[in-house]
Amino acid sequence: MAVLRRMLPGAVVAVLVLGLPLVVHDRYLLKVLSFVGIDVVVVLGLALLFGFAGQISLGQAAFFGIGAYTTSVLVAALGWPWLGGVAAAVLVSAGAGALLALPVGRLKGHYLAMATLGFGEIALIAFTELKGITGGTDGLSGIPYPQVGSFVARAPEANYLLVWAVAIVAYVLAANVVALRPGRALRALHGSEAGAQASGIDVARTKVTAFAVAAGLAGLGGALYAHLVGFISPGSFTIELSILLVAMVALGGMGSLPGAVVGAVLLGMLPYLDAVVPGLTKSTVEALQSWEADIYGAVLILVMLFMPHGLAGAFRRFFPGRGGEGS
Amino acid sequence: MGPGQVSWPELLQFAIAGLKNGAIYALVALGFTIVYASTNVINFAQGEFYMLGGMFATFGFSHLGLPLGLAALAAVIATAAVAVVFELLAVRPRVGGDPMTIIIVTVGGSVLLRSLARHAFGSNELALPAFSPGESIMLGGAAIDRQTLWVWAVAAVAVFALWLLYSRTRLGRAMRATAIDGEAARLVGIDTRLLVTVSFALAAVLGAIAGVVVTPLTQTAFDVGAAVGLKGFAAAILGGLGNPLAAVVGGLVLGLLESLSVAFISSTFKDAIALAVLLLVLFVRPSGLLGRSRREKV
Amino acid sequence: MTIVVAVGLASAILAGCAGGGGAAKPSAGGEAAKKPYRIGAVLSLTGSYSGLGTPEKETLDLEVAAINAAGGVNGHPLEVVVEDDGTDTGKATAAVSKLIDQENAIAVIGATGTGQTMATRVDIDRAGIPELSLAGGNAVTQKFDKQVFQMPWPNRLVAPFVLKHMKGKGVKSVALFTDASGYGKDGLAVITPELAKLGMTAVANETFNPGDTDMTAQLTKMKAAKPDAILLWAAGKEAATIMKNRAQLGITTPVYGGSGQARTEFIQGAGAAADGFVFGTGKVLLPKSYGDAPNRKLAEDFAARYKQKYGAEPNIFTAHAYDAIHIVAEALKRIPGDVTPAALRDEIEKTSGFVGLDGTFTFSATDHNGLTENDLVMYAVQDGKWVLAK
Repeated sequence: MAVLRRMLPGAVVAVLVLGLPLVVHDRYLLKVLSFVGIDVVVVLGLALLFGFAGQISLGQAAFFGIGAYTTSVLVAALGWPWLGGVAAAVLVSAGAGALLALPVGRLKGHYLAMATLGFGEIALIAFTELKGITGGTDGLSGIPYPQVGSFVARAPEANYLLVWAVAIVAYVLAANVVALRPGRALRALHGSEAGAQASGIDVARTKVTAFAVAAGLAGLGGALYAHLVGFISPGSFTIELSILLVAMVALGGMGSLPGAVVGAVLLGMLPYLDAVVPGLTKSTVEALQSWEADIYGAVLILVMLFMPHGLAGAFRRFFPGRGGEGS
Repeated sequence: MGPGQVSWPELLQFAIAGLKNGAIYALVALGFTIVYASTNVINFAQGEFYMLGGMFATFGFSHLGLPLGLAALAAVIATAAVAVVFELLAVRPRVGGDPMTIIIVTVGGSVLLRSLARHAFGSNELALPAFSPGESIMLGGAAIDRQTLWVWAVAAVAVFALWLLYSRTRLGRAMRATAIDGEAARLVGIDTRLLVTVSFALAAVLGAIAGVVVTPLTQTAFDVGAAVGLKGFAAAILGGLGNPLAAVVGGLVLGLLESLSVAFISSTFKDAIALAVLLLVLFVRPSGLLGRSRREKV
Repeated sequence: MTIVVAVGLASAILAGCAGGGGAAKPSAGGEAAKKPYRIGAVLSLTGSYSGLGTPEKETLDLEVAAINAAGGVNGHPLEVVVEDDGTDTGKATAAVSKLIDQENAIAVIGATGTGQTMATRVDIDRAGIPELSLAGGNAVTQKFDKQVFQMPWPNRLVAPFVLKHMKGKGVKSVALFTDASGYGKDGLAVITPELAKLGMTAVANETFNPGDTDMTAQLTKMKAAKPDAILLWAAGKEAATIMKNRAQLGITTPVYGGSGQARTEFIQGAGAAADGFVFGTGKVLLPKSYGDAPNRKLAEDFAARYKQKYGAEPNIFTAHAYDAIHIVAEALKRIPGDVTPAALRDEIEKTSGFVGLDGTFTFSATDHNGLTENDLVMYAVQDGKWVLAK
């Protein structure tokens, strides 16, 4: 019974999210929401790394890109099935994450930030220069829609359902990681590495795992993105994306998975406000687009000033005793 | 002949190019390091101070008709004012809290400043004339542009002034004390909050100086801050965070690395090579070239 | 907590959809006016191409107002819905979805950039509507898509034109200097085989990155290679830095370039260091270069109107946008009855001898650029101005 009560809110959310295409047929909105769902997948990984393990990464766009290019090359050029391409994308990016974590795991704080930032830039140069594989700055086009057997997810509804189903599964997995033993190890790491070590946690291994999981989820998001958009080029995997992802986690509140999801949804929707807010006039929309970056910067500052623990922290303050989850 | 196919004058020319870029990186890196020393955070808006310096100078010169020197001076002061306002409004309320919070504030500040600059000055690049136009000066077969001399001179003066401030003034000693141990500094009565404001102003002055002095060579635009900010951050890390001398060394080494990569390996991969070397240094010396290993803070 | 967030979110989304369906309908001014033709535009108004997208939008606004003031197209007013892609491929695909699905656009102008254009093609193809790209990358029309037309002169047209001019000046060995962005790489892919075809050799091949502040290292290498000329293929403000660095190093080797330098900002930025720079691009920079062709009057007239409205000189980007909107308007004019996107696409493809600012366009089933070397001319920079190169 208790288990049921705990799972109920999540189940309601899942049903609402997945049931949306029954009432919404606006292809633009569904596409925008699919982008948001992809952000959620990537941000979940970063939230685990960042909010729970306390390891910063300013290079998640690199793993996002590695995932996108892996599946694009395998499926579009080599004729792999979609599922194989996406699975390979997750494995390759998770592997890259683990490989990076092996040496980088020794670094802390800002040195770690710089190392991941540098890795992101090097990956971007590789995407641009490995023309034979990545198509260089021309990018890769003609990436097919997701296909399982004879079913092709051509309609925006199908893509929306696919992305959000993946996001929900990712959420459930992440929540379990947090609740179970590995999560305790991660949080111990966030507290103090020495303490974690003392309590018998293999610090190095936990870090590598956290990096691999976060990179794998970023790669999964990249793979979904590639098949949704049908075209990728290095411009989609820049440091701006890495910083946006960190901002999403921070906005939601570090150490809270629901917070990370809400942060991803809010910042992900910001450029597309006209898709969800009814009755905006054309000039309002134009002004919003022109001032979007200003709004985004101001929101980050204001949230940190007035809600330093993000939305999740503010929520806990206003509804004490109800936000037990994940923190 | 020098090493390989490169003659000595050419090698000298590569070194000049590297040291010129390096001086710019060093100024920006100093900004990072000063703010880090007082707050323990990386100020991601540092690159935007560089951008604002150039922007304000071109605005003062082209639109307000100020003489070049006055426009440059006004630009540095205006940038420092922006930084102080930013610090008072956005950073100060969170000083002493989770460093991550301030980092996100500065990320937001960087996005905001860049975008406001686009609204204020437009999206096209803007130019500034050379400080002292004229032929390059020849040295051992290599050419040194006059503006490059300005870059070096200004950087040297800035570093010297900073050294005087740190070693000869109460304020500077307080800053050093805070950098070593903020808690202890507070206990002995140092107003660490004021020092954060001062450090943002200093960082902005250094960034703006770099932006002003390089704009005659490169022009400027609303989006130039990010790339230089990244290089300055890399230089600060390469040297070792929190140590002004290390920031200068880091900047010069990074600049030389880039120009020597062009000379001997490939211009296409110069940034990748510089970053790869940086990563290698970090793997061998996790606190940078000259960094002390600090207690775990983050 | 999840449930509150979720319910709030879901209701916000549902509320959004309820209102979102009825996108703002145009309020046509004229009482008897026919239903407007709605054309979408995906432009980079923010982000790194905002310097290109902004004049493009201004041009579309100006020309749509002019066309409507003259009675519209067959009595239908034109309406342009501009969406900003923020110089981002993902946003470009969302923007084009919106134009197709919410705004029911019959044609899309844009995108500003090559990457954004390539990204929008997936939805453009699905919807079967024509797209008139303002991006100059080879891929736009070389990776052929029957829905997509290209206004600017692609590098595969401009680069050989410039190289032939160089050969005519006796240049045999060339030092290549390209930027690591799409424009430089796109050009390099054309230049390398063309050099071989013309019997010229590349003695140096250097690149730089957007945002670089000093190029003397690359130029020092080039100087050592002793080329007859330097060919600079780059977009962005770094070209001015390169010309200054060249002067600082005392290099006298002539420098050639392409459309990337057809911007007044380049000349202002480089100052005296740009003197003698020779580049090839369209004729719109100096309308007299059209000679007696009717394009000349068009260009002079547009320049006067643009200057009056916006107080700035038009540039090559305004020309791309001008041609796009007028090609669509002309095609619409030729469709007598109901306009469908498919019919419009077919009619655009039949465009022949269209007199525009980028040149005179003749599309075919295999050529969706429709320009030739006759639409190009070589310029030289002299005393801070463009003049026709000798």
